[in-house]
Amino acid sequence: MRLLRIRLSHFRGVHDREVTLAEDGITVLQGENEVGKTTTVRALDLLVDAPDSSRRADVRAAAPAGIDAGPEVEAEILTGPYRFVYRKRWLRRPLTELTLTAPAALQLTGAEAHARVVAILDETMDRDLWRALRVEQHTPAGQARLGGHDALTRALDRAAGGPDAAAPANQGTHVTGTAHAGTDSDLVERAEAELRRYRTPNGRPTGELREAEERSAGARVEHERCRHAVDAVEDDVAERERLDAESAALDRRRREHQAHVAELEDRWSGLQSRLREVETAHGHAVLLRERAESAGARAQARRALVAAADEAARTATRTGEIVAEHHDARTAARKERDARHAEHQRARTAAGLAREQARAADAALARAHDHAELADLEARLQRVADAEEGRRAADAELAAISVDEDTVETLDRLARDVLRAEAAQEAGSARVELVVPDTAAGAPELRLDGEPAHLAPGQTRRLPVRAALSVSLPGQLDVHVRPGRDGHALADAVRAAVEELATACADAGVVGPDAARAALRRAEDARRHRHDHELTVDRELAGRSLAEVRAARETLRDRLGGSDAAPATVRTDGVPDREQLRAAATTARAAADDAAAHAEETDHLRGLAEEAVREVETTAALAAQRAADARHAHECRAAELTDARTTAPDAELDTDAADGLARAREAENAHESLAAALAADDPDSVEALVVNARRVDERLNADTVALDRTRAETTGRLQSAGHQGWHDQLLAAEIELDAATREHTAVARRARAAHRLHDTLLRHRDAVRRAYVAPFRSEVERLARIVFGPSLSLEVDEALRITHRTLAGVTVPFDELSSGAQEQLALCARLACAALVDPADGVPVVIDDALGHSDPDRLARLGAVFTAATSRGAGQILVLTCTPERYRGVGAATVVALTPSRPPAREPAREPMGWDRTVATREVARDVGEDPPAAALPPTG
Amino acid sequence: MRFVHTADWQLGMTRRFLAAGSNTGRAVGSAGEAQARFAQARLDAVRTLGALADAEGAAFVLVCGDVFESNLVGRDVVARACEALRSFTTPVLLLPGNHDPADAACVLRRSDFVRRCPPHVTVLDRPGVHQVADGVEVVAAPWSSKHPVSDLVADQLAELGPAPAGTIRIMAGHGGLDTLAPDTSDPALIRSASVHPALADGRIHYLALGDRHSTWTDATGRVRYPGAPEVTHHDEVDPGNVLVVDVHADPNGRADPTNEVRARSVPVGRWRFVRHQAALDTDADLDALDGWLAARADKESTAVRLGLVGTLTLRQRARLDELVAAHSHVYAAVELSRRRSQLVTRPDDADLGALDLVGFAASAARELHGAARDEANGADTAPVDRELDDAASTEARDALGLLHRLVAR
Repeated sequence: MRLLRIRLSHFRGVHDREVTLAEDGITVLQGENEVGKTTTVRALDLLVDAPDSSRRADVRAAAPAGIDAGPEVEAEILTGPYRFVYRKRWLRRPLTELTLTAPAALQLTGAEAHARVVAILDETMDRDLWRALRVEQHTPAGQARLGGHDALTRALDRAAGGPDAAAPANQGTHVTGTAHAGTDSDLVERAEAELRRYRTPNGRPTGELREAEERSAGARVEHERCRHAVDAVEDDVAERERLDAESAALDRRRREHQAHVAELEDRWSGLQSRLREVETAHGHAVLLRERAESAGARAQARRALVAAADEAARTATRTGEIVAEHHDARTAARKERDARHAEHQRARTAAGLAREQARAADAALARAHDHAELADLEARLQRVADAEEGRRAADAELAAISVDEDTVETLDRLARDVLRAEAAQEAGSARVELVVPDTAAGAPELRLDGEPAHLAPGQTRRLPVRAALSVSLPGQLDVHVRPGRDGHALADAVRAAVEELATACADAGVVGPDAARAALRRAEDARRHRHDHELTVDRELAGRSLAEVRAARETLRDRLGGSDAAPATVRTDGVPDREQLRAAATTARAAADDAAAHAEETDHLRGLAEEAVREVETTAALAAQRAADARHAHECRAAELTDARTTAPDAELDTDAADGLARAREAENAHESLAAALAADDPDSVEALVVNARRVDERLNADTVALDRTRAETTGRLQSAGHQGWHDQLLAAEIELDAATREHTAVARRARAAHRLHDTLLRHRDAVRRAYVAPFRSEVERLARIVFGPSLSLEVDEALRITHRTLAGVTVPFDELSSGAQEQLALCARLACAALVDPADGVPVVIDDALGHSDPDRLARLGAVFTAATSRGAGQILVLTCTPERYRGVGAATVVALTPSRPPAREPAREPMGWDRTVATREVARDVGEDPPAAALPPTG
Repeated sequence: MRFVHTADWQLGMTRRFLAAGSNTGRAVGSAGEAQARFAQARLDAVRTLGALADAEGAAFVLVCGDVFESNLVGRDVVARACEALRSFTTPVLLLPGNHDPADAACVLRRSDFVRRCPPHVTVLDRPGVHQVADGVEVVAAPWSSKHPVSDLVADQLAELGPAPAGTIRIMAGHGGLDTLAPDTSDPALIRSASVHPALADGRIHYLALGDRHSTWTDATGRVRYPGAPEVTHHDEVDPGNVLVVDVHADPNGRADPTNEVRARSVPVGRWRFVRHQAALDTDADLDALDGWLAARADKESTAVRLGLVGTLTLRQRARLDELVAAHSHVYAAVELSRRRSQLVTRPDDADLGALDLVGFAASAARELHGAARDEANGADTAPVDRELDDAASTEARDALGLLHRLVAR
């Protein structure tokens, strides 16, 4: 497809502008930002894709701002054999017009026109390639996805395969094949989708295939289970049969064995009766032997009895002799004892007398003591009575005296008050000093208050004036001294004190303080005397009360019996008498003791004699007893013997013993012969056989029981299994297994088919792609060497992507190249496509402001690349740029400078001359008819 | 004396092909139901023959073995069988056969059977003479295990004396006759050599047999297999019958070979198991097969097994598959016999041309096409390894078919 001309009206910011492009080679659209370069390309997309009725977002976005008009695009396009002008308006008064000029003139409008254009483009151009070959503004200049585009594929087919291999098929399908444009790669995707229904990318089963496998496995397990169950039942049936046979055989054996046992039992019971006979014989022999032995024993006993009777007779005789001997000894002993007894009686009488005397002496002594003590007590009582008298006197005196310490003290104080008052009076009153000069011839006759007073020369006498005083030298002189007023007061105080003292004395019953003190002293004395008397009483009573002492005196008096004679004796010759009495008592006691000792001794001797007598008598009694016993025993034995001989005489017993012995021997012999006969028949063996046979019988019984149990178990299992319907379950499981297997087979078959198809398609696609790589790479390298120099080589993968660049021997992965280098290589790849694709199939390559990463040197070289890409007459290249310098180096370029196209200020400019018509600076001479044929391209590589 | 001779009811039997497709998720309804209808038909056959016995005035119905498919059938099968037996009044004699031997697990002795079994039913599980009516004796030779080690009929005959005068004696046995069996080494085979003298000297007057599912009679007319009352297998010849037998007793007890026994075969079964062999090479052959299948009557109780031989293109093969699938919705079953079929699918140029592919897809299609053709050819030349080669060629063909579908999508 080639775009010859495009006009935009009321389209976004463009008011109205027509751009004419070079039909072949490069057209550079240059202009400032927002002048509408990219919009121009977008408008072409919209013209082709959107029906005039569309209100898509991009259509609405194309509406001009502030003007009531629909966006409109008109383009003149040359594609395949068609050449047409196509015009569309959206939103306001929608419009579609198609004017075909080649191959035949035709005009269409509306939806018909739109459909026709879509058909024409689908038929003649590869729209995917059209998009792939654009470098959009502001998008990373990555590599285009070039694999799988029909036009490129055909071009590469041509380049790779040459004319012979693919040409006829391709020629044949060239036109119709385009109807399937894009299905090849789709087909691989669909085949993969189909494969993914069955297997994951890792090759594991999934979806239907996995379900089928699981179902199949489950069915196999279930079938196995049912078959096992059925087999188990079959086994049980066989087991039951075997058990039945075994049980029958066992029954037979038991019956046989029971016959054998019966026979043995018969034999054994015969032997048993004989055994019992032998035992009876044995018992008889034992009995006879015992009888014989008892007869012998009786004979023996008789002999012993006779011997015992003889012995008893001898013993009786001997004991009688002994008794006689003892009688004499007893008589002697008694005589001796009587003598001793008499002696003792005597001694005892003497001792009694002596003791009486001693007692009398003691009594006399005691009496003497009592008298002495009574006298003492009487004296004491007398002294106590005296003391009591004294004490009572003292008490009376004390009672009479009412003065105590306090009284004395009070009186003293009052006396001192009198003194003090007097002193005060003296001090306060005038004093009269009477002085007799030394020189005086003698003592004057002086009278004081009428009283003579003596005063020697040189003496002085002072007199207080207490009251009216008169000093007079009789005859010569009378001096009357009267006290003042103060002297009276003092005198009153003295008087008061004196009165108070007098009153106190009267109260205390004393004359004055001195008398009081004397009374106090007397009281003190009386108290002391009283105390002395109390001490005396205590001493005389010696701790006892007076009543006790008096009682003791009364006791003594009673004891002495009131005889007045004795006290007199005692009183008269008390002390010597008592000593005498004491000596006499002592002597008497000694005599009594001696007598007692003697009596004791005789008593002892008497006791000894007594003892001897008893001893002799005991011995005698004993001997008499023995003699009696012996006599009795002798009598008994004799009676016994007599009795025994009455029942069985001695001779008869001896005969019995001999006969019994003979019979016992006979019975023993009979037993031995019987036992020997039985032993000859070997009863032990028979018994062993019988025991064994019984055991065997038991064992057979046990076997039968065990067998019956096993049989019952098996039968029980069979019964329960019978109701399970295992046959039906097995059949169901078989059917399920069959169905599952069939399903699995079918699914697996589909899975295999999908795998095979996918595999085959991939293999062929890869083979084709590998074939495409070489021509594509050589074309890219041809262009890229212009930029990077002749040492460049590239690696291209099967998807026609550049993977590595090698420059001067250094290989770098594409992704690690600088942005500039990536951009340049990507551009080269696109231009290579444009150069490779048949001009008839080709689409414009649009470069929208690329090469921003390239330095000036590279830019210059890229210009050469553009030229080289178009030098073979292939393709239309449209470069949009706001920096024209980048593309200065492009030699063969048609440059179109775009200026802003704004609506006129007032009137809507509708006339053709108002259009901002940009004229191409370079006229392109070719037209459709002069397109070079596809075969004219030289094969590459 | 008249009685109904039947055998091989095989109650509880299922047929795999009747359930086929029931679990593939496509034809669930008809196929699973076909199995149920088939089971019901077997019971219906029992009811039919019972009604027949009642109508014919038969003295009894003698079932010579294989009443049940197995001793291990479920309670439902037993219960339904008892219910079918209850639908008529003629006495029934059931002989244990090789499928339901009188062993420890014998279904005829099982508690659920004994409890439900109607009173006019007698189980001949004890070998020997059974007095079944006045002047009628049945000598039973029941199977007591699955693997008897002797000819059970001969064992019984050896112990028999001549039948009492005026008494009809019928021997009931089960198993193959030595004259019919390809392998005569089986010790349990019934020896004709012991049967014919017994028939001749009047020990027995009729040998009623079971085990063979096809109706069969020997030259004397006194030894008969009634066949299964309802078909069980495609190989059976004339199944679905019971025999109404009339035996006339000779007063002196001698057998009269000319007119003593008369037997009529009466159909009771309704199902058909059909084989159809066809050559398939052209579209016309496919039309013929379609026509044949469409023309059959009683499709819902018919199971067809096809033996197809020929070479088809991809398209024809697809048509065949569709055709079979369409008919199997109506029939009880339509299946391809692997043993009797030899179909080769060979894609032709038209198959490839229809794809209309270019580029690598076209070359991939050509490769698959070639593989499918080559391997299909190889399969023709080496039929022994057909299975293995089939797998490879089938895969290529399937892949091609898938490609067709994907392109058409």
